[in-house]
Amino acid sequence: MAVSLHADVYIPGQSAVHRWAARPKLLSLLALMFAIATVRHLGLLPWVFGVVGSLYLWSQLPLTYVWRRLPYPGLFIVAMVGLLPWISGETILWQWSILALRLEGLQAAALIAGRFVAILTTGFVLLGTTPFLSLLEAMRSLGIPTLLTDMTLLTYRYLFDLANQLATMRQAMQLRGYGHSRQTLQRHWGWLAALFGSLLLRSYEQSQRVYSAMRLRGYGQHPPRAMTTDAGAERDSLAWPTILTLVAAASVVIWELSLPSL
Amino acid sequence: MHIPDGLLPASVCVAGYAITGGVTWVALKQINKTSNPQVEVPKAALLAAAFFVGSSLSLPVPPVSVHLVLNGLLGIVLGWYAWPAILIGLLLQAILLGHGGVTTLGVHAVMMGIPALLAGQLFQQRQRLGKSLPPKVALGLFSFVAGALGVGISVLIFLALVVFAMPSTLDQSAERGFLTALMVGHIPLIFLEGIFAVLLCFFLLRVKPELLER
Amino acid sequence: MNQSLNSLSSSPLSAVSLPTPAQGRVRQVAIALQDLTFSYPDNPGILQGISTTICEGQRVGLIGHNGCGKTTLFMLLCGLLTPQSGTIHLFDRLVEPHQFRPELGFLFQDPEDQLFSPAVRDDIAFGPLNLGLSDAEVAERVEAALELTGIQALAGRPPHHLSGGEKQMVAIAGLMAMCPRILLYDEPTASLDLRTRRRLIQFLQKSDETLLLASHDLEFLLEVCDRVLLIDEGRIIADGHPFEVMDNQALMEKHGLEKPHSLVPHVEMHHRRAGPRSEAEML
Repeated sequence: MAVSLHADVYIPGQSAVHRWAARPKLLSLLALMFAIATVRHLGLLPWVFGVVGSLYLWSQLPLTYVWRRLPYPGLFIVAMVGLLPWISGETILWQWSILALRLEGLQAAALIAGRFVAILTTGFVLLGTTPFLSLLEAMRSLGIPTLLTDMTLLTYRYLFDLANQLATMRQAMQLRGYGHSRQTLQRHWGWLAALFGSLLLRSYEQSQRVYSAMRLRGYGQHPPRAMTTDAGAERDSLAWPTILTLVAAASVVIWELSLPSL
Repeated sequence: MHIPDGLLPASVCVAGYAITGGVTWVALKQINKTSNPQVEVPKAALLAAAFFVGSSLSLPVPPVSVHLVLNGLLGIVLGWYAWPAILIGLLLQAILLGHGGVTTLGVHAVMMGIPALLAGQLFQQRQRLGKSLPPKVALGLFSFVAGALGVGISVLIFLALVVFAMPSTLDQSAERGFLTALMVGHIPLIFLEGIFAVLLCFFLLRVKPELLER
Repeated sequence: MNQSLNSLSSSPLSAVSLPTPAQGRVRQVAIALQDLTFSYPDNPGILQGISTTICEGQRVGLIGHNGCGKTTLFMLLCGLLTPQSGTIHLFDRLVEPHQFRPELGFLFQDPEDQLFSPAVRDDIAFGPLNLGLSDAEVAERVEAALELTGIQALAGRPPHHLSGGEKQMVAIAGLMAMCPRILLYDEPTASLDLRTRRRLIQFLQKSDETLLLASHDLEFLLEVCDRVLLIDEGRIIADGHPFEVMDNQALMEKHGLEKPHSLVPHVEMHHRRAGPRSEAEML
């Protein structure tokens, strides 16, 4: 998993979507995302975009938020379906030499791309309006095992420290000339394996200190209590955003099922 | 091997979540049976964070650089904890990077996590299956196979999922050609993952051999 | 304490085969900072118009409260950060961002940030290998660095298994193997015990390189440095002999520091006597 970390996925705000309680929001928006994934008729996409667009406007997130974030995952979609209009289908819309733009392939690519944009935008609404810890608390309340949520919290907590450590170690290597002269591939790979191994080692040793510190503060002595967050107190347990979103999700599925199968 | 949202039918995404739920239940059961989770959770969490961060390293393969998947290696080092580590990695990738993959999280977990578990189990069998070999040779061989296998099985699952995603109007020969090209294109990656696993395991053997033992 | 480090104080420089810079030559300007300015997005003006020169062979201490910009200055000198304005010259050559300058060595505050190889010898060899030296030259440099720092006995051991002080000496050896002319030390005594700290002081007192040492350990700087720069609010507030700068209590306190204890005149008895305390004292 190639990563570079950003800390600005969540954008604080006061919209109704921000104030929507995390658990019903998570469930409703996930339901909407899966409902969008069921769409197989291109004609349904305008309704889907209408629903998702309204949700996005309601969240008051800036347009640049989604504009900045679509391109990278968009590359994967383009890579996956970019060829379809040229190789899939019988009805040729336009042809030049061996290149032939085909209707069925174009429709398939448009459908996949449309679903992709709609699902991702819904995901941005969820992530942009809900702090990470609130999401985690919502998952815990939905029955995700404590071991998983504890591990997630600790991983999240130390992710940035370790990213800084790795960045510093790479700087130290560069300051001693790494990348400056040609080296054999064997040496490069050996050094990078050693760098990665050192990071693992440091995190392992740090984990032993973390565990000791946790034990000294009672970790493992009592059954784990549910984490409480301040964010929970600010959230409204309004029913209507949940109902509206679930109705919208249901409408997508029902409409899809009512259309003749392809 | 990232599968974007919207590509797979909803039924496949739901199946992915269902299988993920099942494997999570099995993995947690194994974790509770074979270790003291209270002690192991901090270790697994920080090692998971190190893997998440370390996977950003790009390795030179002239004329390009590659990012390795490292799920086989994750299985070697974390054993059953590789499953929650991969789940958490996928979740953090979706949440912190905002790159999507929410509906396909279950599918990704199956694609990366099951091979990681298999790789880990195979590696742990090296003392039994490789007892006729000198210990270092056994370590080298099993770490290579585990590292390569982790990615190899992931690639096969990925290809199967791509088949689900392809529209029915796609010509069969074009589909076969596309899949073959994908498969062939991933063979060097599989080999490189094995090599990197060997290098790392030998490093850990010199410096902290207990990280390779369960 | 490791026996190898016991030999440190008796290891004569003349036995070292590393080329020693600046011996017997006219001192040139090693570091020249001209109107150096740098800001972080969340910390504007961390360095504002810093100008100074440091001559070859000088040992300069950087003092200031946390967050005053000492480490930032080091990162700028190494080219790891790009100044908003101003220039940095090392031996008359402009420092370009991310350019490799082998004449400069940087000891990070945590030596673990620099040690990653499976054996000490391999880690020390890393720098010379990147200089494009032959295997024979690399081996020679490694042996010389091991001897200079007195850690020959640690050569085959994994750095990760060493104590904090030993790791630091390995990190220093790794830098010395590149024959730097300027060395930057970021809080070098931060996690050392007293004995290792004393050895480091003795080591630095014998070194010929131009040294820049950022430290809160003012007593350490008093023993090692011949010049001190006090930094606060992005500027050089004071520049002079360590005794002169650090003896100015008002100046030190105004900028978030304290006068080193050894400079406090021992006229009044301000140390508590050992022995039983009276009831009044305990209340």
